[in-house]
Amino acid sequence: MILNMDGTRPIYLQISEWLEREILNGNFESDQKIYSQYQLAEMFTINPATAAKGLTLLVEENILFKKRGLGMFVTSNAKEIIMNKRKNQTLKRLVLEIVTEAKRLNVSKEELIQMINDVNTGEAGE
Amino acid sequence: MSIIECRGLTKVYGKTKALNNLSFTIEENKITGLIGRNGAGKTTLLKIIAGFLRETSGEIEIFSEKPFNNLIVSANLIYINDQMKFPTALTLKEVLHVCASFYEKWDHDLASRLFDYFSLQPTQHYNDLSKGMKSTFNMIVGLSARCALTMFDEPTTGMDAAVRKDFYRALLKDYIAYPRTILLSSHHLDEIEDLLEDILLIKEGKELLHIQIEDLKEWAIGVQGLTTTVKEWTNNREVIHSNGIGLDRMYAVIKNDFSESEKQQGKAAGLAITPVSSSDVCVYLTRKTKGGIDDVFIKD
Amino acid sequence: MSLSRIRLRDIIKKQYAYKLRDYIQVFMSLVFIQMLAILFSFNGVGMMGTSSNTFDINVHFYSADIVVTFTMLWALITSILITTQTYRNDDFAFITNRFSSNLSNMLFLLTASLVGGFTAMLSSNVMRILMYVFGRTEYLYTPTAVSEWLIGSIATILYVLLFSALGYFFGTLVQINKVFVVLLPALFIGILIIGAGTMNGTVLNNVFEFIFMESSLVIFMVKIVILAALLFSSSALMSNRMEVR
Repeated sequence: MILNMDGTRPIYLQISEWLEREILNGNFESDQKIYSQYQLAEMFTINPATAAKGLTLLVEENILFKKRGLGMFVTSNAKEIIMNKRKNQTLKRLVLEIVTEAKRLNVSKEELIQMINDVNTGEAGE
Repeated sequence: MSIIECRGLTKVYGKTKALNNLSFTIEENKITGLIGRNGAGKTTLLKIIAGFLRETSGEIEIFSEKPFNNLIVSANLIYINDQMKFPTALTLKEVLHVCASFYEKWDHDLASRLFDYFSLQPTQHYNDLSKGMKSTFNMIVGLSARCALTMFDEPTTGMDAAVRKDFYRALLKDYIAYPRTILLSSHHLDEIEDLLEDILLIKEGKELLHIQIEDLKEWAIGVQGLTTTVKEWTNNREVIHSNGIGLDRMYAVIKNDFSESEKQQGKAAGLAITPVSSSDVCVYLTRKTKGGIDDVFIKD
Repeated sequence: MSLSRIRLRDIIKKQYAYKLRDYIQVFMSLVFIQMLAILFSFNGVGMMGTSSNTFDINVHFYSADIVVTFTMLWALITSILITTQTYRNDDFAFITNRFSSNLSNMLFLLTASLVGGFTAMLSSNVMRILMYVFGRTEYLYTPTAVSEWLIGSIATILYVLLFSALGYFFGTLVQINKVFVVLLPALFIGILIIGAGTMNGTVLNNVFEFIFMESSLVIFMVKIVILAALLFSSSALMSNRMEVR
């Protein structure tokens, strides 16, 4: 994947999100060693310090843990933490945006729920 | 350990101050971007660091030594700019051999491989090269010398997009393998920002910002909305850029010292809050005049 | 990353080594200038003749004097050239300070003077051969003893060295302040004019006598070496604070 390099979104956030996705997709299991800051730096042509910042963020969130001298490893409940985080933060933010936009367009609550239902059943039918 | 330390560095040419009381410190093994407009003093600063020019006043220390006319400093740093001159009678291959004889940490294998990769001809002479090819050759010398302090002043002048990309990648790979202190000056921040750890922004010979590049991306925010709302919300704040959109809307860029709740309030009031790219922040901060190019076209 | 520790002597050696190759044109111009001088020499440096009703005797003197003079001029111009920015900046592409740059330049000029002085002396042999082959009439040759030839060589080399030291000094002055581009020739011509007015006992006369009329080889050598050393060291001293590139 190519990072969004337009300069507006901090690269370290994009790195940590990319790693989260890798873990969610099952490319990295619990207790498995994850990329080092230098590997990440080479992969994306970014400064190793920036990559380290992305890794540190995940350590702070208990998604990764550090083994001294060995590198960073995925914690046993990493997937759970990521999913919870996404539910509580990402999804909530998106819902907030949807509701605000709906208000601006005078879409009623029922109408909005109907729209969500339609998308859900549409996906299920495919 | 700090590699570069300067306090109150000033350089005067005639009546103009190229550097004006500049103070900063650069730590070991970091890649720092030296950013500023043309004439901001970037090249003057780098030439003082390299020991080519003498400071008018203030102090500067490189590897804890005064750089001017200092052999130890000269042996441990390399300064690459687009006005490089190499011995004219020697072929490119011979110049590389001379470099090898001078620089203790010179990697001749790397130099040869880069030389072949960029299709330079061993029997060519430096003065016969095109601008872009000269820059490419300079870059090969700068990387292969492996100096503890490596300075590239506008290294990509004349290079095409593909070579520029290759250069940035080569720089990063060699830096990871052999960490060293690198100063990269450019007015295209967007091209080099991913490589940087820190940024040193200068304007008219003064230091404006010296922060981590990732912090620069969150240093300012842009707000867009009804002119009255934007003005009210940014009241008493440092607006670094603003322009009108349509009849009653405007866009303003402000230093990002708002709390999360303040931002929520802003959004609730109908303001669109967006991040501002680091290169835009630099452009706004280093602008010489208050207004923009649009103001030139306003007739009374 | 550890710092490289280097010695001044090594840097000077490296600079000298690359300069010998880089400044190859200096030696090519030497060959050209000496050939030109040999050509001019065929007119002879002096002539005397006598004639009666039945015969004419014209004696032409040939010597390598013109070659030596041209070589001295070559040394002057070469050393001025070396002080110019184009050459100076070459050093600053690599490891250097002003002192090592100056010292390697002087070593190079010393080498050039040795080569120039020696070939100038040898040129008399070339002339002899050419004269023998293409000479119009009777050819007389005053043989010189080896010792004499050696003395001549040393003197020539020292003269060439003195002129390169002078050129280096002038060149450095010009690099420090462009005013000297005008000032130096003006000074030279001025002294000439004043000298012409007062005939003898002028500065130029004294300088000329001091340098060119010394009869003792040892004193001559000491004089030239000291003069050259003075000129070189003051050049080095003056340029030691100079800004480059």
